[in-house]
Formats: sequence, structure tokens, C-alpha cells
Amino acid sequence: MSFWFWHGLRNGIRTTRYPATSETALGVSPGRPVTTEFRSTAEVEAAAASCPTGSIIARGTSARVEMRSCIHCQRCRIGTAQPLEWRGDYEWTTIPADREGYELLPSAYRRSAHVMVVDAGDCGACLREVKQLNNPFYNMHRLGIFLTATPRAADVLLVVGPVSENMRVPLLKTYEAMPTPKRVLAVGTCAVTGGVFGRTFMSAGGAASVLPVDLEIPGDPPPPLAILHGLLVATGRKALAPKKAMGERSA
Amino acid sequence: MVFPWIGGALILFFILALCGLGLSTVTRGNNTMRVLLIFSGGCSVLMMYAAGAALATGRSFEATLWSIEGMGPLTLRLDMLSAVFLFTAGLVYLPASLFARNLVVRLLRGHYPARNYGMLHFALMISIALIFVANDAVSFLISWECMSILCYLLVNYEQSRGTDTRAGFIMLAMGEAGFLAVVLAFLIAGRGSADWSFPALAAASGQLSGKAVWGVFLLGFLGFGVKAGLVPVNFWLPRSYTAAPAIFLPVLAGVTLNLGFYGILRLNVDLLPPRSPAIGLVALVIGSITALVGILYATTESDMKTMLAHSSIENAGIIVAAIGASLVFRASGNAVPAAIALIAGLYHMVNHSVYKTLLFQGAGEIEAATGTREMDRLGGLAHLLPGLSVVFLVGCLSISAIPPFNGFLSEWLTLQSLLRSAVLASSGVKILFALCGACLALTAALAVTCFVKVYAMSFLGVRRGTWQPHVRERVSRVRFPMAYLAVACLLLGVLPTYVIPVLNRAAEPLAGANATTALVPPFFTATSANQQLPPAFLQDFHNLGAQTGRKWIAGRGLVLLVRGSERNPVIFAASPSYSLIALVVLLLIAWILVTRSTRKRQLCRKELWAGGIPRLLPEMTYTATGFSNPVRVVFQAIFRPDIVEDTRETVAVHFRTAIRRRRDETHLVDRVFFHPVGDAIGWVARLLAGMHHGRLNAYVAYTVVLFLVILLLYRFS
Amino acid sequence: MGSQAPSIEYMGIEALTAVVQERFGKAVTVGQGAMGVVLSLLIEETQTLPGLCRLLFWDCGCGLGGLVVEERPPSWRLSYLFLLPGTGWIEVLVRLPMEAHSVPSISSEVHAADWYEREAEDLFGLQFENHPRLGDFVLHDQIWPEGLKPQRKSVDARQVKFERRPNSEWRPLLVVKDSGAFAMPVGPVYEGGVGESLHFMLETVGEDVLRAVPRLFYNYRAVEKIAEGRSVADALLLAERFAATSSFAHSAGFCHAVEKIWNLGVPRRAKHLRVLLAELERLRHHAGTITGICESTALAVAASQAAIIEEQLLRASCRFTGHRYLFGLNTPGGLRRDFDHDDLEKLKASVDQAARELRVLEERLRFTSSFLDRLEDAGVVNPKQARDLNLLGPVGRASGRCHDLRRECAYNGYEGYAFEVPRESEGDGYARLRVLFQEAYQSVALIHEALATAEPGPICVPVHAQSSGAALGWAEAPIGAALHWVRLDESGLVERYRAITPSFNNWLGFHVAVEDFAFQDFPIILATFGLSATECDR
Repeated sequence: MSFWFWHGLRNGIRTTRYPATSETALGVSPGRPVTTEFRSTAEVEAAAASCPTGSIIARGTSARVEMRSCIHCQRCRIGTAQPLEWRGDYEWTTIPADREGYELLPSAYRRSAHVMVVDAGDCGACLREVKQLNNPFYNMHRLGIFLTATPRAADVLLVVGPVSENMRVPLLKTYEAMPTPKRVLAVGTCAVTGGVFGRTFMSAGGAASVLPVDLEIPGDPPPPLAILHGLLVATGRKALAPKKAMGERSA
Repeated sequence: MVFPWIGGALILFFILALCGLGLSTVTRGNNTMRVLLIFSGGCSVLMMYAAGAALATGRSFEATLWSIEGMGPLTLRLDMLSAVFLFTAGLVYLPASLFARNLVVRLLRGHYPARNYGMLHFALMISIALIFVANDAVSFLISWECMSILCYLLVNYEQSRGTDTRAGFIMLAMGEAGFLAVVLAFLIAGRGSADWSFPALAAASGQLSGKAVWGVFLLGFLGFGVKAGLVPVNFWLPRSYTAAPAIFLPVLAGVTLNLGFYGILRLNVDLLPPRSPAIGLVALVIGSITALVGILYATTESDMKTMLAHSSIENAGIIVAAIGASLVFRASGNAVPAAIALIAGLYHMVNHSVYKTLLFQGAGEIEAATGTREMDRLGGLAHLLPGLSVVFLVGCLSISAIPPFNGFLSEWLTLQSLLRSAVLASSGVKILFALCGACLALTAALAVTCFVKVYAMSFLGVRRGTWQPHVRERVSRVRFPMAYLAVACLLLGVLPTYVIPVLNRAAEPLAGANATTALVPPFFTATSANQQLPPAFLQDFHNLGAQTGRKWIAGRGLVLLVRGSERNPVIFAASPSYSLIALVVLLLIAWILVTRSTRKRQLCRKELWAGGIPRLLPEMTYTATGFSNPVRVVFQAIFRPDIVEDTRETVAVHFRTAIRRRRDETHLVDRVFFHPVGDAIGWVARLLAGMHHGRLNAYVAYTVVLFLVILLLYRFS
Repeated sequence: MGSQAPSIEYMGIEALTAVVQERFGKAVTVGQGAMGVVLSLLIEETQTLPGLCRLLFWDCGCGLGGLVVEERPPSWRLSYLFLLPGTGWIEVLVRLPMEAHSVPSISSEVHAADWYEREAEDLFGLQFENHPRLGDFVLHDQIWPEGLKPQRKSVDARQVKFERRPNSEWRPLLVVKDSGAFAMPVGPVYEGGVGESLHFMLETVGEDVLRAVPRLFYNYRAVEKIAEGRSVADALLLAERFAATSSFAHSAGFCHAVEKIWNLGVPRRAKHLRVLLAELERLRHHAGTITGICESTALAVAASQAAIIEEQLLRASCRFTGHRYLFGLNTPGGLRRDFDHDDLEKLKASVDQAARELRVLEERLRFTSSFLDRLEDAGVVNPKQARDLNLLGPVGRASGRCHDLRRECAYNGYEGYAFEVPRESEGDGYARLRVLFQEAYQSVALIHEALATAEPGPICVPVHAQSSGAALGWAEAPIGAALHWVRLDESGLVERYRAITPSFNNWLGFHVAVEDFAFQDFPIILATFGLSATECDR
């Protein structure tokens, strides 16, 4: 049985240095589309039409990207004559539209936050990305972030999924059962705006319809580093960029 | 110093009891209640007074009644041993009388004639007192037989309700078998004595041969063991306790069980001191096995009354184990350890009477309030019956041996006395002591499990059954007897240093040494001139604060001490009194700290977190059977359940609608003793039944043959 | 370790037709089915339905595909799909008049059809006679009122808003009739850490779980309903994203169905690359399941090592296709993008490295007796139960049931590939683990073969005419066989989309694995099954 010990040692350290330095390995993030300048408005219109969720907004000759509803379908860069530029970053946590800013958790939580994850109709990808945060590559334990099974010990609630109607009450109960101070993070485009499901009779169209959301991490799914960035913002170790002009928000 | 007037108190007790008996024949209804309250209560107070005065002053009381031709005079004697038992009986009879008085109302509702109960109650009281003060075998046996019959009548009191009358009958049958064994024991013991009085029997015991001693011991032990509830012969106990009416059960559990111990102590320890350690070992081993079997069945039982009955068996085992240890020490010549073990046994007997009565009264109240005894169906009673939950909790804590209550102390003393086996020479005996000690320790652990289950499943949590509570809490009338017992539990646990010298008076003549100094050294009263304790020792303990409170508290001190031998100089000390004070102080400090530090915090009460389901239903909470299932699984070899029914009903071939698993458990004792013995007797009976074939000629032939045999015997004798 | 599935001689289509006609004669009309369906057996009298289904399932050795219910006024169209191994899909077609709302239940004959009928009852309101338990399935009785029938055409997905009606009298159906029995609720917010939402009532008398009834559909988003009226491109998004860990397989199944309707011939290169990507997804999915099994037994180092393999495959997928979970690749007619030689070589290197690491991990796990102790004889599903409940995928293969769609009704060019379908017969947790490893190695072999045989060429055919029609598409998802039934109307919009997922099928059989095992084994058995609640719930 001791061979496990040597096996683990032999495989070496894989952990990323993020947030100390930026992670540049390929494949950690699908990236995201960013504002692109085109030559004519017709091209911009064509580019905007390629997005099935309407995340690309035409503003003159530039196509602005509303990241909150981007589902990473890649139709704006593959199979289209007017591909948008994509940036390979992963720090795209934002605050909800109706909020002014993000209220930090008290400083005691900076290096010790307990996170509760609730699957409210998620497709499985966001949940698995959150699960990857425990693997040796990301290892959120080193940052003092832990997963709990009970809301009574949780500080941060991660909601994934568009909040199916059958999960509305359990989600609310989970939120109610958490002691203050608590913060809610909507992880994934489904939790932010409803994603491909939207607001239907069986889906609430995002966690904001059910709970007060403090931070949003769009993406379908957001890669683990994006979720990690969101958690670091929640605990106060990373700062959010101030609100920019309408159309594009970046952290 | 008031003249104790022990004898007068006893006479007054008998008079009062007879008056009560007489009055209950003529009164009815509410008057019966008053009669019970006044007369029975008064009788118990007198019992306590008489016994207490005897113990306090060390004087005994003797009286001679009339003589019977050929059997000698009937004498009464209240010596120290009897006084301990009589005091315990009075201690328990007082709340039992009050409790009975209240329950008479329910009896009347059930259309049972209350006056019959009153008569039986007083008659039983008289016979029990007579058993304790009897000083010769004849009066002892006569009162014992009366007690047996009265118990049977009381157990089967609520006959028309369809309760199992077989239980009482088995009790009577076993009681008679035990009685027969006891009579034989007395006959063997009395072979060389002048008459049947106990002092004469004691004097003649020196001439008995070894085999006779063994015979007396085994017959007496098993015979009294029937009443005490020891393993081979206790299969009547759970049945009768379950069948007994709630009005009688506290007395049955608290008083009549002690009669068995009294018999064992009187016959096998007092009258017939053993000469070889093997006799004591038999008692020790049987006691330990009884304790283990009792608690195993108690832990896995979900009917509260049956569970408490098995728990009584467990405690009986512990007491008998202590008595056995005492016999071994005495036979090996270590008198002080013998006294310590005997004091432990007596202490446990007193404690057991107190908390078992409390628990049985609580069980009766629960049954009255909810209509069910099944712990699987109870739950959530703490809100409905807050007063009951507090006193029941005290009972549960006491029986689980949790300090500062009394169970802790007697179990501690029992285990300590077993540890004293280091002074014994034979290593085989020492190993046996170790095994029995381990057995008792396992028993104690299982007892905690059992009573955590009892309290939690009945009082805490969510109501599981469909009963509706139909009794509102009436604090004063019904709770007073139980509160009295709870306070007694606490006092007996917190003031052992006052109880032990009293018990020592009873133990000393039986063990041959005074154990008071060994157990309760006179810290408070010791001076440097007092050579009982080395001064350096005293100084150490003074530095530890053992003499705190010396100016305000009378007595020898508040610390119990068990010292090892010279080869094994260890000291085990316990002071429940100081511990209680320390506990209270610590709790107070903790409470102050917590309230001050959280004053600024917000406290919200939210609903229970259950994983997000809409509502936590009672079906989703643990049941008593589920809680104790691991014990059932681990000790499966002992339980050996027979699977009676293991069906899976399905509908439409594949959809399962019901899973029924019923397992019948035959009690270990039934399996190993009762059923084989019964089968053997049946076999013999079938053989003999071959004789009864109805032919007159054969019967005449039998008579002729018998006649011839008698003639021949007469000829050749 | 595993053995190849013995080549069982299954019935051919002619023999089956002969048997059916001999038994039922005129009651059953044999005919040509919709696209994707090899044979269609049309029933006039609904009373023959249970008998015919029993014949197909038990006597002819077919597997159950599922039930597709369509509301096509003036009648209901019920299509019971059966897989004839080696040949293809057979449907038993029942056309029920709209007014007649009930049809005999086949679940007493084919037990695996139990949940399909319950789902149809909850969503459509169809009654199945003699079904032992209808109701409280998709729409939980504790919250929703009766009679909602969300899948009916009369319900407009965009407008409707159902009112909840919490039922305080609701009691769970408890099966264990022991006075000391109780039901431990687990979920829906469950699992220390990260878990999907599902609810169990573990009925027990203290030590062993006697009955474990899962309550699913907490993640029900009514994908089938909201797909109606969408264009194929938008419905493809739904097909991809209702169960993301098998997204490539589901989107491939959807695309197969649409390609049949529009009669698109997928180019060879696209077929080979589809095989490559499907096997990549299978490999990554199995690495994730193995991680879950190691985590459930608390073998932390092994769990971390397996998680490393999974993350490396996710990163390789992202480098290769631009998305970690292979979203956005399938389109009707082929793939959306092509890959150049360098990308393929790098992918091959990553896959080889993952395979090497998996082999080392498997070897190590074989020698960890404490790990094996937890898995061996835990959660046993014997072959008879697996057949009875029609278990699919690795779970079925561990109990001897080897229906693999890549073999039995090959699609997408799988008939040209050489691979083995692993098979075990113990049916315990260790058997399932072995099957997962073997399948992972077979996936690596398939990836190699796909890379070797993929020749340059077009990656997609253009779509000219968007015609109407209905077809069945299928794919072997990592968890098992997935079926997609698509009906398009004249304007090319989706009229009916039915996704039959392997998790739905296997969850029905989960309870036999858990019963009569201790509480502590429950999370381990759950992990060895590796099922997805969200794939079942859609």
C-alpha cells in the first residue's frame, strides 16, 4: 500500500501557480469572444446573427460581446465568414447588472472560505468543472477554499444550472439554512441568464430569479480557473475591475 | 439523643398495615386512595424509620413470637442486614404508594375493584417486612410463600383485559420451584442444628461437610436466584414484568427483586460462610453472565417495559457478581476486599431499587399519556411532558452510571472491588476475575447505549406514531413521587461517604472486616495523632484540596478511596461531591462566557436542515430498532433469530409493494435451559403416560406391586 | 480481466418476422418503419401489445430501446423500440385514437418498460392499464398538482406557468413493513462535495438498506418540450447541452436522425473524426467515473491520479477542438470544423499518455486490497437482473449484458473498426471498474485506428433542402445506448424531439444493486454505476 505514496511523489507537482502568476498552459480555458472591429456594419450584423443567444451586439462597426449569455457554442468563430476574435483568458467574473458593487466577505474569510455547491438543473459540465477544482492541477485547498456538504457551515453558495422548478425549493432552503455572512455565486451561463433553456415553465432562467446573486461567472461551462477566479473575488483576494461601458465587462 | 424505639416503630408498622388492610376491605373509590396515601405512606415511613434507626445506632431488635410444635419458636430479628433491606423497601414503598394512589383512578376507570388492590398491597407489604425480619427458617419460609402468592395475584390483577395470564402463572410456578429448592437447602443446612432459628443454623454450619455446603449453596443460590433474576432461572421475569399492571410494577421491580438478594445473603453468606473460593466463583460467573445477557436483550428490545425488565436482570447480575467476589475474597482470607465488594453489592442494590422504580413509574406515565409502550412509536415527548422528561432523564443517567448520580458510584465500586483480585494467590482465579470484570465493563457500555436509545427515542425527536397525547402535564401530583426518587438518586450519588459507613454495618459481620476506613478515610476528622493514615499521605491530599469544606461538613470527608496492596500500591479516588461542585462551577463559567461573548451575535432559529426536502416526516427519523440494530448484528450468535417471515410482496410480478421480515427470537435462556428442560420433562411424562392406558387390571397390579415393594422395604430396613 | 463478448447467434430479421406472424398472424402488420427503424410492427388491437412485447424481449432476445409517444391528431402514435442485436431497431407501433387514453401496460412482461410508461403518463396523461404505480414521477406529487401534462401540444411552453400546490398530506410509498423500519432521506442537496441533485429514500431497519428508491427529475428542464418549434440548429444546442458529459454522443445521435430525414451523406473523413471524438469523450468520461470510484472509497492518491488523467484529457480536448467538453462540433452533415495533421498528432500523444497512465493506475489498484475489499461483492447485479431490467452500457456489460450499439447496429462507420466489447459476469463494483478500464483501452485503440484511416476530404456536406419527416438516430454514449427520435415539420422546425438516455434506463435498475447492502456501501455503489441524474432528467 505504500506504493501509493511513492506513486504520488513520482508523478510530481502539477499544481498551477495561479493566482500568483497567470496560467498559460494550453487547454485550461476555451477562452471567450471579445469585442471585434469589422469593416462594415453588414459584417457586424452577420456576426451578430451567428450567435444563437444574442450575446453579440452590433454597435456601429464593432461587435460587442455580452459575456453573460455566451454559451461557448463557437458559432461566432467556426463556420462563419466573419469570425470574432477570441481571447484565451479566464478571468471574467462580473457583478450582476442590478448591483452597484460587490460587498466583500469579512477579512476572516479571505483565506478560509467554505463553499456549498447546489446543482439546480445543471447539464453536468459546470458541476464537473467545479469538481476539477479539487484535482491536483488546481487544488483549491491551498487557497483555503473547501467544499462542505452542509449549508450550515458554508459561506459561499455556488449555484449551477438554470434552476429547474423542481429544485427551486431545495435551493431556497439551502440558502435559508446558511448563516450570515453568505454570498451567492451563479456559475455558468445557465445560472446567470438561463443559457439555452431560458425562462420556461420548468426553468427559472437563472439563479437571480430565485436568490440574490452576488457574483456571476458566465461560460458554458466556465473553466475551473474562471470559477477559481470568481471564488477569489468572493473572498476578496482578487479585485473586480470597475464597471466599464455597457456591452463588455471584464474582470 | 432520642430513644430510637425501633421495636415500637416496627410494631406500629404492623398495626398500621393491618389497619390499612382492614380498611381497604370496606372502603371504595376515593376513600381507597386516601387509605393508600395515609396508611401505606405511613407504613413506609415507619419502615424507613425503624431500619434507619437500627442502622444509625447499630442496635438490633429481637422479638419472639409464639412457638410451633416440632418447629421451634418463631422469632423476629432486625439486624443490620435486614435493616438495609428494610430501609430500601421503605424508601421505595413511599413513592410507590403515592404513585399507586394516583393510578387507582385509572384502575377504577377500568372497572377493577380498587379495594382488592388495596388488600393485596398491604398484605404484600406485611409479608415483605416479615421476610426481612424473620429470624428463623419457618417464619421466613411462610412469609416467603405468602409473598409469592400475593405477587402472583397482583401480577395477574388486570385479568379481564386479555393480558397474558400465563406470565403470572410461570412466575408462580418458577417461584414454587425456587421455594422448593430453598426448603431443601434449609433442610440440609439444618441437619445438625438444635432448632430452626437462624443463629442455631449458623452455629451448626461449621459441622456440615463440604458436599453439604455445596448442596446448600447451589440449592439456595438457584432457589433465591429465581426471585433475584439470575440467568438459568429468570425466564419468568421479562414476561411477568411486561404483564404486570402499571400500578404494581414499581413495587415488583423495586422491592421484590431485592428479596432474592436478601435470601442469598442471608443463607449463603450469613448462615453458611463458604469455605472454598469456588463457591464464590460460581456466583461471580453466573452474575456476570446474567448481567451481559440481560443488557444485550435490553438493548435490542423496543417495548419499554420488557426492556426495563431485562435491565433489571442486568443489575441483578451485577449485584450477584459483587456478592460472589466478596465470597471469593472471604474464602481466601482477604476480609477487607470482601467487605468492599459486599458494600459495592449492597450499594448497587439500593441504587437499583431507587432508579428502577423511577424508570418503571416513568414508563407507566408514558404509557398512560400515549397509549403505547413501543419505543418505535414514541418520540417528541419532551415538549408534551417536560417535567416527566427531566425526571426520566435523571433515571436514565443514573442507570447508565453517569456521575454525579448514584449508578456511577456503585458500578465504580463493583469494578474496583474486582480489581482488588490482585491480592488473590491463584492465577486461575485472577484470570476469571479479569474476565468477569471485562464482562461487566462491556455490560456498562451496553447499558449506556440502551438508555441513550430509551431516552432519545421516547422523548427527543419527532413523534413517530399516530397517537395523540391525552394527558396534560400535572406536575405536582404525579411527579412528586418521581421527583422524590430523582432527588434520592442524586443524593445517593453525591454523598457516598455517608452511605458507605452505614452499609458497612451490614457488611462487616458478613465479611469479617470493617471496610469503612479502607473506603472512606477520615480526611476531615483525621489528626496527626490519628495513626490510621500516614501523615505524608494526609499532607498530599490536603494539598489536593481533599479537606476543603472541613469546617462546614460533618463526617469523615467527601473522598472515596480504594487503595491497592503493598505489592500494588495504587490509589483510585473519587469524590462525586466535589465533582458535582466542580461541574456546577464549570458550567456556570461556561454559561457566563458564552452569553457574554455572543451577546453581540445574532441568533436565528431556522428549520432543520434535511437535504432540501420539503418536510421532514416522522418516517424519516431513526427508530429504536434501527438504533440498536448494530448490537443485534454484532451479537447475532447469541440472539440467533429465526426468520419467521421474509416475504417480498410484489404486484404485477416486478413491482415490490411490501417487504416483510419478521424474526422471532427465542431468548438465550429459553433456548439453552427452559426448552430442553421442558422437553426432557415432557419426554419423561410421555414415558410415564404409557402407564395410563385405562385398564383396571393394570392399575390393580400397580397397587399390588407397590404394596409388595413397601413390605419388602419395611422388612429389610 | 474481461473477455470478449461471445458471438451469440441472434435471430435474423426474417426469422423474427416469421415468428411474429406465426404467433400473431393478422393482429400484427409487418411493414417498413420510419428512417432508422428496420422493421415496424403495427398493432390494431392494443390487447396484443403485451404479448408481442414479451415475444420480442424474451423469446427473440431483443433489448428494449424505449417508448416514443407522439401526439399526432387524430391519434396517438406510440412506438415501442426494440433492438434486434446484429440487425437494428424494431418498433411496435400502436395508433391510439385521441379519445382513448389508455393502453395496456407492458411492464409486467417487460419490466424495463416500467419507467417509460410512468414518464409517458406524467407528461402526456396516457393511462397504462395494470401498471402498478403511476404518478409522482417527473412532476413530484408533493409539489405539483395532478393533471398538468406539460408535453401535450395544448400546452405552450413559452406562455405557460404552472402553479405549485404543495401537498402536506403526501407520504412516501414505504415498502418495508416492519415496525422499526424507517426511511433515511438522502438529498436532493446531497453528497459531501459536488453531487447531482437526486433524492433517495433508503428504507432500512438499521444496518442494511432494504429498499432504495431514487426520486429523480429534480433537474427536469423539459428539454423535449422546449425543443418543439425550434430550428434544427437551436435544437442541436439543446441536444448537446442537456447532458454535457456525453454531449458529443447525444449531439451525434441528434445529427444522425436529422441526416436521415434530410438524406445527407456524411463524408468519410467526418465519420472517422466523429468516431475519434466520440471515443475521446468516452475515454474522458470513464476517467471521470474512475475518479469518482476512487473518491468514494477514499483512496485519495488514486483519486488524484485519475483526476489528473481526466484533466489532461479535458485540456487536450480544449486544445484540439476549442472546448473542453467537445461542444459545438457536430452539425447535421458532418463536423463544423476540420483538424490539421499537427493537431491530430498532438491529440494522439495526449491520448497515448493518458492510456499509459491509466494502465499504471489500474495495475496499482489491482494490488490495493483495501480498495478491492470495498468494491468486490458490493452492489451485485446478477446477469438475470441485468437482462430483466435491460441494463445498458458498462453497467450492463459488467453483469453479462453486452449490447453495444457500435456492434449491434453499427452506425457512423463503426462496422469497419476492430474493437472488443468487454464483458464480465460478476456484476459487482469491481467488475464494473474492470469494464471501465477495458472500454477506455478500447477507446484508445479506436482513436488510433480512426487517426490511421482518416483520409483527407470534405468535413461536411452542405444542407440544401430542409425537408420534413421523422427518423431515429442513435449513438453509444459513454453510459450506454442513447436514442434520438426527431420529427421535423414542413418549415424544417422541430415538431417532436424525443431523447431516450441510457441513464434513464439504468437508474431503474440501480435499486437492485443497493438493496441488502450496508449504508456505508451506498456511495460506493452509486459511484461504480457512474450514472448521470441530469442525463436522465433532461
